[in-house]
Amino acid sequence: MTCSVRSASRTRPAALLRVASVLLATALLPGSAHASGTVKVVASLPNLGAIARDIGGDRIDLTVIASGVQDAHFVDPKPSYIVKLRAADLLIVNGLDLEVGWIPPLTQGARNGKVLPGGSGYVDASTGIPVVEIPAGLNRAEGDVHPYGNPHYLGDPLNALTVATTIAEALKKADPAGAAAYDERRKAFAARLDQALFGASLVELAGGSKLEREAAAGTLDHFLDATSIGGAPLRTRLGGWLGRLAPFRGRPVVTYHKDASYFAARFGLVVADYVEPKPGIPPSARHLEELTERLKHGEARVIVTRPYVEHRSTDLLAQKTGVAVVTLPLEAGGDPKATDYFALFDLVTDRLAAALAPTGAGPAAPKKGSGSR
Amino acid sequence: MRKSVRRCGTVLFLAVVIAFLPLGTARAEESAEVAALRQEVVALRAEIEALKAAMRELQQGAAGATSPAAETAPPAAGAPSAAAGAATAPPPLAPSAAPARSANVMNPAISAVFQAIGQSFLDGREDANGFDLSEAEVAFESTVDPYVKMNLYLTFPVDESPEVEEGYAQTLALPAGLQLKGGRFKESFGKWNLLHTHAFPTVERPDALVNFFGEESLTNDGLSLSWLIPNPAGLYLESVTEAGTAREGPSFNSEARALTWSQHLSAFFNPSDNATLEFGLSGAFGQTGPTETLLADLDAAGLTGILVPDERTPSNVYGADVTWKWKPLSANTYRSLTAQAEVLRSRRHAQTLSGASLDEEILTSDGGYLYLEGQWIKRWKIGLRGDLAGFPDSETDRTWSAAGVVKFAPSEFQEIRFQVKRTRLNPGAAARAGGDGDQEDTQVFFEWIPIIGAHGAHKY
Repeated sequence: MTCSVRSASRTRPAALLRVASVLLATALLPGSAHASGTVKVVASLPNLGAIARDIGGDRIDLTVIASGVQDAHFVDPKPSYIVKLRAADLLIVNGLDLEVGWIPPLTQGARNGKVLPGGSGYVDASTGIPVVEIPAGLNRAEGDVHPYGNPHYLGDPLNALTVATTIAEALKKADPAGAAAYDERRKAFAARLDQALFGASLVELAGGSKLEREAAAGTLDHFLDATSIGGAPLRTRLGGWLGRLAPFRGRPVVTYHKDASYFAARFGLVVADYVEPKPGIPPSARHLEELTERLKHGEARVIVTRPYVEHRSTDLLAQKTGVAVVTLPLEAGGDPKATDYFALFDLVTDRLAAALAPTGAGPAAPKKGSGSR
Repeated sequence: MRKSVRRCGTVLFLAVVIAFLPLGTARAEESAEVAALRQEVVALRAEIEALKAAMRELQQGAAGATSPAAETAPPAAGAPSAAAGAATAPPPLAPSAAPARSANVMNPAISAVFQAIGQSFLDGREDANGFDLSEAEVAFESTVDPYVKMNLYLTFPVDESPEVEEGYAQTLALPAGLQLKGGRFKESFGKWNLLHTHAFPTVERPDALVNFFGEESLTNDGLSLSWLIPNPAGLYLESVTEAGTAREGPSFNSEARALTWSQHLSAFFNPSDNATLEFGLSGAFGQTGPTETLLADLDAAGLTGILVPDERTPSNVYGADVTWKWKPLSANTYRSLTAQAEVLRSRRHAQTLSGASLDEEILTSDGGYLYLEGQWIKRWKIGLRGDLAGFPDSETDRTWSAAGVVKFAPSEFQEIRFQVKRTRLNPGAAARAGGDGDQEDTQVFFEWIPIIGAHGAHKY
């Protein structure tokens, strides 16, 4: 414990200093690092693009295919993206078959060996991610199930650290001259993410890597309760996104699609039900009736929906049961305020906390969803 | 007694301990040492924790950046040394996805689809009424190696022997924006010709395509070279040049194995995030055999076998297509509008019987369709199609038709369609269908298309 406190407080200023010096160096010597041209990076989804931007900085020329307001399952493979992929050095994909309907026609049309699966520039961001909900058997009677497991892993900010490392390694391979810069930026990203996730005060005391390890092992709660500094348990220092949602641990929510598994696990929420009867299958009237019954009996007080799904069903549920409907973007750019991955989680945790916070009255006082629509 | 035995034992034990461990001393000191050791273990444990943390940080960070050797490497050797640094950083672990179960993992992606079609003429014609499993298709797709992929589509038309609808190898990474395809493939002519039956926007193919190319798409056994034309605006401009032996159809039905050339140019624009616009120009240049009329005339004149018609008269078909799509990004599975139009013109040489000799003339005929499709709610679409269709071997025969289709897709993997089509045929066209004078037909269709197997990609 004490050791990690020491190491954290020692490394951060040094890391920041190093980032600053690298940034200064690149600013002063524009020709040297960029002599070979910028690395052309295409990211399939906005969150991947946001992380790539954080790691690559101005060394990369970034194109993001999908928009944040789009359903990542159903992006149209417009031929104009083929032109972008034709010249790309790197293609970063979410993987786990999330983009199975639209990335293959683009890579196969691009005539660029680098961006084909197995190519030197094909970066599957799911590499190293502890995937959940890998189906034991595959049957489309269960809806549009993802055969390799739930692909919405960036709902857990801790997974963004792994993605950042994967992207940094890929960038270093594509642009060896920038290796040091990518490393520095990855470290700065990790430090920033630790602070945003756990709160600056807790990171200062316990060290980011220690907290990451405890969180990844699922022992963060125990660690925060069992460790005291100056007589007060560390839990009192928990801030950031986790701190914001900490009062609501164990609270049930209903989500539209099965896309909040990683998010809920990280923030201690329970996904009690789905508006879709099965993944990818729109709700029928009967399903909505049954859901209404369950919600009336207190199954959950908040429904989480997305910017790109219909809102008739959720409006109906809200009207009949008084539950709050909150629209949470899943990707950066899914809301004007969610300008990058950090802003996305700022927004999501704020909105969710506001929706979950007790308003005094129960279902009788429905809160209007703070959605962007 | 017992005491002395114990003492003796202690003495003996101590003697042994002293003999083997010169450092070991009295019991009292031993317990003090245990306490000290315990403290040390605690300290070590803490240190191990710290080391683990440091190690994790090292693994995540690049060895190159933290190692002074890489930092101080001269700029000239910078790239290789940084690369070496990257190589020493352990790569992230492979995903924990499903393990390889058997040799089956190398099997191609397989999918199967069929169309069950029920159709009926409402005005008494009974030649095509009834339900049919019109066609079943099994598709295989896989990369062959890092350079080439292969697609194979086997169709099982009702009551006919199975055939290869398409089967081609396609390069994946040729330089200079080139892509080569070889085998049997649907010719790059316009938009609709490339579609497989189950992917048609309406139940059946537009009349003009049927009249010009036959019941099947214009299909080639040959080679296709596609080129992404570089341009400063970064637009998608594609040129597709194809050469091969067209398999059948009115425009290219030469019994001599004649080569067909075709050229397709397309340009794709994004007027806004929600809308796209695509233009295409096509031309197919080949040869075809004698017209049915000539064969009938020769037969009637008793000249069959005496006057031998040319099996290789030139036949060209030109086309232009335009497609506009509107799909709001945030609701692209709920709302969309599509407008697509293609016009075709056939110019073919045809021999006619003139007395006891053969004359040659050039026949020009036109055709085309306009298709509009709207979606206002998830799973439901309506479409309207208007057709005008001539026949390549006649300048006068013509049909007009209008069709409306309602489509319901319970999921991504099946679609149910109901279509009504009204066709007007002028006397020439009616005669081809066995009627006489002007003729009007109303047809209703029901179609059910389920798809199983690998998740296919959606073509735009």
